[in-house]
Amino acid sequence: MQEIIILGRGGQGAQTAGNLLAQTFFSQGYFVQTFATYGGARRGTPVSASLRIDDRPIRLRCNIESADAMLCFDDSLLDGNFLRFASSNALIVVNSTRPTEDFSEMGEYRIIPVDGVAIARDNHMGKVVNSALLGAFAATFAQPDIDTLCRVVEVSAPVKKENNVASCRQGYLQTHT
Amino acid sequence: MSYTAKRLLLTGNHAVAWAVKRVRPHVAPLYPITPQTPILEKLTDFQSKGELEGTELLTPESEHSAMAACISASLTGVRVFTATSSQGLLLMHELLHYAAGARARIVLFNVNRTPASPWGFWPDQLDSLSQRDTGWVQLYSESPQESLDTTIQAYRIAELIGVPIMISHDAFYVSHAMEPVEVPSQQQVDEFLPPFACDHFLDPKRGQSFGAPLDQQNWNRSRREMAAAMARVFAAVTDAGKKWGETSGRDYAPLECYRMDGATTVIVTMGSMCGTAREAVDALQDKGNRVGLLKVRLFRPFPVAALKEALAGVSCAIVLDRNFSCGLGGILHQELKAALYGLKPAPKIHGLLSGVGGVNVSVNKIKQWVSEYAGAVPVNESLWVE
Repeated sequence: MQEIIILGRGGQGAQTAGNLLAQTFFSQGYFVQTFATYGGARRGTPVSASLRIDDRPIRLRCNIESADAMLCFDDSLLDGNFLRFASSNALIVVNSTRPTEDFSEMGEYRIIPVDGVAIARDNHMGKVVNSALLGAFAATFAQPDIDTLCRVVEVSAPVKKENNVASCRQGYLQTHT
Repeated sequence: MSYTAKRLLLTGNHAVAWAVKRVRPHVAPLYPITPQTPILEKLTDFQSKGELEGTELLTPESEHSAMAACISASLTGVRVFTATSSQGLLLMHELLHYAAGARARIVLFNVNRTPASPWGFWPDQLDSLSQRDTGWVQLYSESPQESLDTTIQAYRIAELIGVPIMISHDAFYVSHAMEPVEVPSQQQVDEFLPPFACDHFLDPKRGQSFGAPLDQQNWNRSRREMAAAMARVFAAVTDAGKKWGETSGRDYAPLECYRMDGATTVIVTMGSMCGTAREAVDALQDKGNRVGLLKVRLFRPFPVAALKEALAGVSCAIVLDRNFSCGLGGILHQELKAALYGLKPAPKIHGLLSGVGGVNVSVNKIKQWVSEYAGAVPVNESLWVE
């Protein structure tokens, strides 16, 4: 089983990103489970979505306490409050303009900063960064499959379908090593 | 006969809405409340697309009015659905008693959420457990799939026995957890649920009535009749679960014994914590520990005889409660102790207030509690644990 936590601020699309990732893994034949914080969530407050992926049915009904990977929409959220839910060598993709060295003090994590805002701007997406970050995440986590992800983004995006897909693919290509 | 079920990615709440769409109740009075609202939203979405034919959705001004509409609709002899949570269920309280006394065959889906105050949105079963004396059948669901399947089965049970049924799943971990769910075909559900017909129903042409004032003796008789009906529920739940298994491949029973063969210690719990407990049981068994899980799916009527049978010969039962009855303790713990009274040899029973307020109950915590309490001397009180 692999466990992923997506962190963001209310309104940034972290929950949507969780659903899109779940849809993508589901279309690839995996069992998935995703749930997000709700109720007290408001625009601007920290929100999170949790995602489990497995090749057998998922029975766990509890929080993720040692995530294999995190996707963080806002580098100001990346502190001990959230990092304690990441495994010691977790992959963390973070939306940030800061260089990788800036995050080296945070521990053994593999932290990959991605300028999601720049990618979104390149694709006329304003401040909507979730498609770009999903592409970057797929590149660094080596899954899900980028073509499947782009198809899910295309079907799910309520507006600007082409820009969302282009943003997702650019995020992938720019981060792929 | 093979059917074409489809597998969709659904939250627990949307799985319930799909069940309702397949059941096609005649009347569905609903009032929104977090975290139930996605059930109502999905139903109105179906309706707007013309996919909820034959169902009249009513949106009255409160849960109290929604239940009043449920009762009157049900007494005309039609299928009825409603859903609520927490404060909404508590506002219905007066009419829950009324519905049960009038033998209204209502199916209500409740999303277990902490009752205020303090305000919260978290999974806790006190809202429905505090309605345990209202005369409703109560079933607890572990997963979105089980919530869908149980909603369909509930109509069969309610209509056979003449009782209202409340199904509950935990907020958040089930209501808002999205996962693959098998949605049965329309034909499959139509064949499982024959057209509803009942002997007694309101019709101006017939001149029957419900709920008229009675003398003491006849009021007493109404409770005896309800008791007799409740006594038939266990068999009806068993039968509906088996029959649904024949058509869907997914069997259900009032109680589920998971890896209990040869188990000396058994975790007893309800709702979403069962899923996490299964993982804990597997991990403990892998290390040679004889630990099993007893999942209580049917809580009212409390399956006393079946619980005695399941726990006979077990040396220790550890009850995990996600509720707290102030001044008594965990409700499942207290009811289990009463049910096993007189059983010899009876297991030692530990009651752990483990998930109260929706606090996270992880596999590691369950494993830790088993190692801590399996050999310990039990106390009468339920214990707060971290």
